Amino acid sequence: MKTNRETSLAATKTTFGLPAFHWPNRQRGALAALVLLLGALQLQLFVPTALAESSTVGKRGGAQPWSVQVDRVDPGDVGLESSFGAAIYENLLEELAKTEQFKQLFRNGDRNANDVPNLLILKTTVQKYTPGSETRRAVTTVNGATKLNVRIQLVTREGHVVLENVVDGNVRFIGGNLRATHNLAHNVAVTLKRSTLPEQADLVPEQETGKMSK
Amino acid sequence: MNRNPIPSRQTPVTSLQVGHGLACLTLLLSLCAGSIGQTQSEAQSPVPGSAIHVTHVLGFEGARHNATGDLKIQGDAVQFQRDGSPTAQVNISSIQDIFVEDEDKQVGGTAMTLGKTAAPFGGGRVVSLFAHKKYDFLTVEYLDNNGGFHGAIFQLDKGRGQTFKKDLVANGAHVSSPDRATTQSTPEVKHENK
Repeated sequence: MKTNRETSLAATKTTFGLPAFHWPNRQRGALAALVLLLGALQLQLFVPTALAESSTVGKRGGAQPWSVQVDRVDPGDVGLESSFGAAIYENLLEELAKTEQFKQLFRNGDRNANDVPNLLILKTTVQKYTPGSETRRAVTTVNGATKLNVRIQLVTREGHVVLENVVDGNVRFIGGNLRATHNLAHNVAVTLKRSTLPEQADLVPEQETGKMSK
Repeated sequence: MNRNPIPSRQTPVTSLQVGHGLACLTLLLSLCAGSIGQTQSEAQSPVPGSAIHVTHVLGFEGARHNATGDLKIQGDAVQFQRDGSPTAQVNISSIQDIFVEDEDKQVGGTAMTLGKTAAPFGGGRVVSLFAHKKYDFLTVEYLDNNGGFHGAIFQLDKGRGQTFKKDLVANGAHVSSPDRATTQSTPEVKHENK
């Protein structure tokens, strides 16, 4: 007749016996790699978004009566590649449309914007540009980042500067170089959403300086 | 002489892990070699005027981001067609400028990136050293019917961008700066405007 203790030992042997011992060890490496991978992906993908989202909470004013026209990107004299200029411009249009902050969104040169009453023009000037290398990022992790730094201005048709800000957009780890333009546009959209734009009636030139980096 | 065999100090689990690592590396390297070989064979023998296989990065009205398809000149329009999707097209006369730049990119896409991240012993970094390829980036700036400015970016196999640009110019596309036909990206050179 088995005692309780013997029964318990037998159960333990069954659970941690030799055949059962090899299976978890074989799988442990793969499982650990999977967990690490998922953790890294979560950090890479969700943390910046969460930070950006949390920073917008409670800061936005009421419905904005403004429409906005996105001007072409001024490359300055930093040797910005043409594809980067076009990518910043197109990503800005997409990210601003996602925020639904503005009543209407116009491209540079759009004739429909001529008759819109409350129109702001978004001007983007590239101040710093560090070309990176996707291969260097993949090999070294700490080297080869692509960095963009731009000055954005919201101006009225009359030339009043409603808002001025400096925004960064970088890609440091995963992704091609053009991903920096997407990150930049996202940061610009977040910055604009955080800002309280003045009413059309009491329009006073307002200057705001701040930095936002990702 | 009787020699007792020296027992191996490696446990079966360790050798199994090393085996898995090597297998993973071998798989990644073969994938890498396969993708490079495939793209190189595709890059050969470009035929001017015919449809070329491109990846639409962004900006072309009516086409999805990162969609692969065929870019071709049809009459007075440049068309991008993805399999099973309606054709997106733009009048060549509305093109304001065209730029061709080349850039180095990692091959293999997301699957390869995940594989490299999961590879043990830093094997992914070694694979990254060889798993890259140069592409042409064709930037087409054009105006839509309302006068709105667009900037479309396409990724082509190396060497095809210039050919396609010449075809577009021959068919009436406007180019403001012919001297800036090809600009090479200069990695790791810091430009600052203070």
